[in-house]
Amino acid sequence: MPTVATREELLSDTFLQLADTLVEDFDVVELLSMLSERCVELLDAAATGIMLGDPQGTLQVMAASSAQAHVLELFQAQNEEGPCLDAYRSGKPVVNENLKNANPWPHFAPMAIEAGLPSVHAFPMRVRDTVVGTLNIFMAEPGPLTDADAVVAQAFAHAGTVTILQHQSARDAHRLTGQLQNALNSRITIEQAKGALAERADVSTDEAFDRLRTYARSNNAKLTDVAAALVERKLSANDLARLIGAVS
Amino acid sequence: MTTTEGRWLRVATAIGAWAGADPTPITLCDLCVDLLGLTGAGITLMADGGLGGGTFASDPATEALEELQFTLGDGPCRDAYEIGLPVLEADLAEGPTRWVVFTGRAVDAGIQAVFSFPMRIGAARVGALTLYRDRAGALSGEGHADALVLAEVATVALLAMQAYTPVGELAKEISIEGSYHAEVHQAAGMVSVQLDIGVGEALVRLRARGFALDRRIRDVAADVVARRVRFDDQRV
Repeated sequence: MPTVATREELLSDTFLQLADTLVEDFDVVELLSMLSERCVELLDAAATGIMLGDPQGTLQVMAASSAQAHVLELFQAQNEEGPCLDAYRSGKPVVNENLKNANPWPHFAPMAIEAGLPSVHAFPMRVRDTVVGTLNIFMAEPGPLTDADAVVAQAFAHAGTVTILQHQSARDAHRLTGQLQNALNSRITIEQAKGALAERADVSTDEAFDRLRTYARSNNAKLTDVAAALVERKLSANDLARLIGAVS
Repeated sequence: MTTTEGRWLRVATAIGAWAGADPTPITLCDLCVDLLGLTGAGITLMADGGLGGGTFASDPATEALEELQFTLGDGPCRDAYEIGLPVLEADLAEGPTRWVVFTGRAVDAGIQAVFSFPMRIGAARVGALTLYRDRAGALSGEGHADALVLAEVATVALLAMQAYTPVGELAKEISIEGSYHAEVHQAAGMVSVQLDIGVGEALVRLRARGFALDRRIRDVAADVVARRVRFDDQRV
């Protein structure tokens, strides 16, 4: 076990490195590898690894601090059995002190013991309700994970999640900001249209909203498009009359 | 655990706990207040390059200051968003020449320092995270670094929320009732018909009236929507 000061230094350094990556381009695999290596030092683990779910929900090995960990992760991904898979599916940490005791992994457990890693812990990497991957910790000796270790492991799992999100967001930033802006603008346009129609038809804004929605539905148009046309005065006199006179 | 709880671990675990417990922009504001020892924190989202996209705040007093900036169309949020760099005012009582009205109100509300951080990833801009403190003085180096990370986290988190939402809809966390001045935009729609002008100009008129009468734009808008006030009525 590293001393408290060393652990604190390592943590600070790791998170500082992470913070640095938030402002520049980075290689996500390299960064996840760094995280997984740091995790070995901090938790006194034999090996660690990070797996991510692909869009089809299949786990892929992203980083592993040793060849054994890599093999054990691959095994789980290919055989659909193991603690990492369980953490990925349940979204909850899976802590196994000793694989020699009863466990639900008849194929994985003997392999891990054979590889000299008789204790495995898996922490989910989550965004909202979605689990994006897992941080997996392999121990050389059976034994419990202390509360302090669990906090560090979970912090690393979150750090990994932020890293991945950062990577995805940087890649998709323009598309996502565009979507966010469109959604915000559309909401505002609908409110403006409610006001404009309420004024024209002398009804409440709630009633105006009902009319806009009914009109959009019966014309097979999007509510936002109808709202924008009304606000920008691009509706024909006929359409406008129908909206104003529409029966809710 | 306290001995191993360093600053970064504290920040990371706090962010992790936030992310794990139904995160919203409002709870992120609360997190900023706790982590950085602030009086208040607010997030303003921009729509069409203006301040109307939505505001979220840690408490009602901060909400009022965020909304004041929406009323004025001016303030640290807008500047941080516009220039894309942190806007730091360590001593409001010294009377910065920018945002004269905002500064006066903030000081009246007991705020001595304001720090606004742009929420951006590269060239993509979303809004601003603004920190309010009842004590004058610059943010510490660590506080500044943490604030940058928090603004980044806020941006990433909002975009992630949006990414997990169908195109065209707004993420439910962002779509909080009261966050986006619904009545103000409704009033702008009504005034645009009353005066036969565009909604953009109608919003400017609402702002001008709020400013002239020393009222919140929200209250002016409520009067319009409730039809207590018309803009084409010369007697008002």
